[in-house]
Amino acid sequence: MSNLFKISLLFLALTFGKPSVSFAQAGAATKYKCMIQMTNYMGEGAYIVISLIDAKGAYEKTLYVMGPDKKWYNSLKEWNKFRAKKPVNISAITGASVTGGDRSVNTIEIDNSKINAGYKLRFESAVEDKSYHVKDVEIPLTTEGLAAKSEGSGYIRYVRFSPN
Amino acid sequence: MTISIWRYSHLVLAVSSFLFLVLASVTGIILSFQPVSEKLQPYRTDGFDQARLSETLPLLRTKYPGITDLSVDANDFVQIKGSDENGEKLSGYIDPLTGKILGVPGEKNAFFEWVTALHRSLFIHETGRFFIGFTAFLLLLITVSGTILIIQRQRGLKRFFTKIVRENFAQYYHVVLGRLSLIPIFIIALTGTYLSLARFGFIETPKYSPKIDFDAIQSDPAKKPADFDIFKQIKLSDVQAIEFPFSEDVEDYYTLKLKDRELTVNQITGDMLSENKYATAELLTTLSLDLHTGRSSGIWAIVLALASGNILFFIYSGFAMTLKRRANRVKNKFTAEESEFIILVGSENGSTFQYANAIHQQLTANGKTTHVTELDNYKVFPKASHIIAMTATYGLGNPPTNAAHFRNKIEKHQQPNPVHFSVVGFGSHSYPDFCKFAFEVDHLFAKQPWAVPMLEIHTVNDKSPEEFSQWATAWSQHADIPLSVSKDLPVIKQERPHALTVVDKTQVSASGESFLIRFRTEDVEFTSGDLLAIYPADDHRERQYSIGKIGNDVQLSVKLHANGLGSEYLYRIQPGEKIQARIDSNTHFHFPQKAKSVIMISNGTGIAPFLGMIDQPTPNASCHLYCGFRDASSFGLYKSAIEQNLADEKLASLHVAYSREGEKQYVKDLLEKDAALIADVLSGEGVIMLCGSLTMQNNVVELLENICQTSLGKSVSYYQSHGQVLMDCY
Repeated sequence: MSNLFKISLLFLALTFGKPSVSFAQAGAATKYKCMIQMTNYMGEGAYIVISLIDAKGAYEKTLYVMGPDKKWYNSLKEWNKFRAKKPVNISAITGASVTGGDRSVNTIEIDNSKINAGYKLRFESAVEDKSYHVKDVEIPLTTEGLAAKSEGSGYIRYVRFSPN
Repeated sequence: MTISIWRYSHLVLAVSSFLFLVLASVTGIILSFQPVSEKLQPYRTDGFDQARLSETLPLLRTKYPGITDLSVDANDFVQIKGSDENGEKLSGYIDPLTGKILGVPGEKNAFFEWVTALHRSLFIHETGRFFIGFTAFLLLLITVSGTILIIQRQRGLKRFFTKIVRENFAQYYHVVLGRLSLIPIFIIALTGTYLSLARFGFIETPKYSPKIDFDAIQSDPAKKPADFDIFKQIKLSDVQAIEFPFSEDVEDYYTLKLKDRELTVNQITGDMLSENKYATAELLTTLSLDLHTGRSSGIWAIVLALASGNILFFIYSGFAMTLKRRANRVKNKFTAEESEFIILVGSENGSTFQYANAIHQQLTANGKTTHVTELDNYKVFPKASHIIAMTATYGLGNPPTNAAHFRNKIEKHQQPNPVHFSVVGFGSHSYPDFCKFAFEVDHLFAKQPWAVPMLEIHTVNDKSPEEFSQWATAWSQHADIPLSVSKDLPVIKQERPHALTVVDKTQVSASGESFLIRFRTEDVEFTSGDLLAIYPADDHRERQYSIGKIGNDVQLSVKLHANGLGSEYLYRIQPGEKIQARIDSNTHFHFPQKAKSVIMISNGTGIAPFLGMIDQPTPNASCHLYCGFRDASSFGLYKSAIEQNLADEKLASLHVAYSREGEKQYVKDLLEKDAALIADVLSGEGVIMLCGSLTMQNNVVELLENICQTSLGKSVSYYQSHGQVLMDCY
């Protein structure tokens, strides 16, 4: 009896679960290469987070984290509050921190539905014992925004995207 | 206790930084295993050294279209980063000739990361970095002061790597290992300091952004990357990192970060868009990192580990030495003003104080008022009847730091009462100027009108307990103060292991005359110049006589004093009688083995050892004897033997002075006439030997000083310290 129940559950999961995943991958999201060029600041490697911000200015999703060590995440104050409230596993979208003068190229995945829908991309940066920039770069998530070269105001010199 | 400024700095620096140094050394040892463990990974390929960018870059771009970065680490591992065709992250070590992925870089070793953070910043960020950087700087100063101390100890830069005198375990290995690991530790300290200065921005390491004139960028003629001249020239081994063009757009370019410069290259035409040579500061930072971490060489990493280990040993041995020296500090019960016995110490590192303290305690135990102080604290000692000066010599025959002003002070302060003095020199024959300063101190005392010589100068080689005890025994006999055995003081000898049988003895007609007495012994090997210690009353009282070896017999020359303890005893015993006594080897007054000419100077019975030395065949050495007597009849005792020696050509010349007859000369007057011979002998590495009374010694040494200064431009103490003026006076 209980075996039969388990098998039916598995069957249900396979029938309904799989299509929904493939749907998200194939249809609703696009991968972009995102290049961050840093300024020539002096000091340790910068921790940078790329977040999706909704029309009200609230965090909706973390797209990429440059900086592997959790103990420094509290230096990215605003994002850290969001992370604390809604903890998700970000290990797949975590890379190395970026040193002054360097370039970092990473792949981020954005739901197509969020583009040209009032959302923003925020690049938030912090360096050990140096100032913190909530909006080092913030660009409207529009087709134009993704095509342009966007200047930073903190440790980031500019950001560029290209479809993967 | 004053110690030199370098020693003081060395200690203060070490004390103020040792906690951080321990931490940095321990973590440093651990971290030195990081490059070693990394290099054990198999990602360095054989083709790496040959690979050129013109082969590797096109290959990689074809194989991995999403490649964005390439980097070459200190282990020559080539790593690429980018994304694969599905947009997934791509990262791996590759073979630069085939493009094959050899392995995926793992997470950084969390343990090494943790230790690195501790090593760099003690987990307290900038504050910690500052402390560690400052510690590196202190280590640099410690290394410098340590080097100077070794140079001083070794008497000069040229002798830096010569033998080190062993005092004890901590001292010996502190210096030996210090010398060996000096250079690696200096490099660790210097690079650590440099990296900290660079980190805190004291050294400008400007960052550079390529300046590219985008208006002038050309898109033809298009070439294949394999044909780019720049790519053909550059080997992968010259590369630190390469950034691939972000897109196909002509405005996106290659950035080549090489070991010495940074280039940007047009991705279509292969033209160089910009070139920037790294600033010296930046190259130095890279070099410092290589040297400080050992990341580029496993062998160097091991050297660094050993050097760090040595730092730990230095901390241990340094403190062991310091504590030992502090234990030697003096505790005076009586002031200098109220003390009868004054012990003056000249010591560079404090070790001589331990001998002074031993004597100090013995005298205090005997109810004597005693005061120990440094030679530099010399002043008027109103109640003093005895002064003992114990001094080391530093550098090239210089006074130790705490005796630098003694010369001036002894001239300035005259003692109100006659004072008996005795000088003990501490030194080592490993150094050329053996006890030179002690000889000088002895001369300085001898010149003072209030000074009464009690013993001739004694020297102690390499802290020899026997030699120190010889002095202590002689002093104790002369001062008539029993010094008993204590744990601090080497045993004072009282044993009499040798049996001697009287074989011959001459007669005297009255007291005040001298006689010769011969003994035979089979118990011990001896030679002329050795000392015979007898115990006439079978108690602690000992008398010493200088031995002349005639045939195989011990011959003494003794002046019979009325009520003289030793002389009456010796005159009383008859041929055939046996006595128990002790023959002490007295190597500093043996006939020199190498000298070509020897001048022997004696007065009275001081001729005894010379009689033996002349009698024994001495090949190749020409001997000159200058001896002083009261009158011709006093000389008569020795006359026939010496004339026989002259006839046998064992003696080159004989000069006799009579003080109560004829010209009424002293031996000094004879020498004054032959000043040229004396200068000749000394400059020809010959030897002058003195035996007789301390008064004669003082007069002769004064004369020698004049001759040496005027003819040779050196002090007599120079020749004393080089074993060219030997004395055995009483």
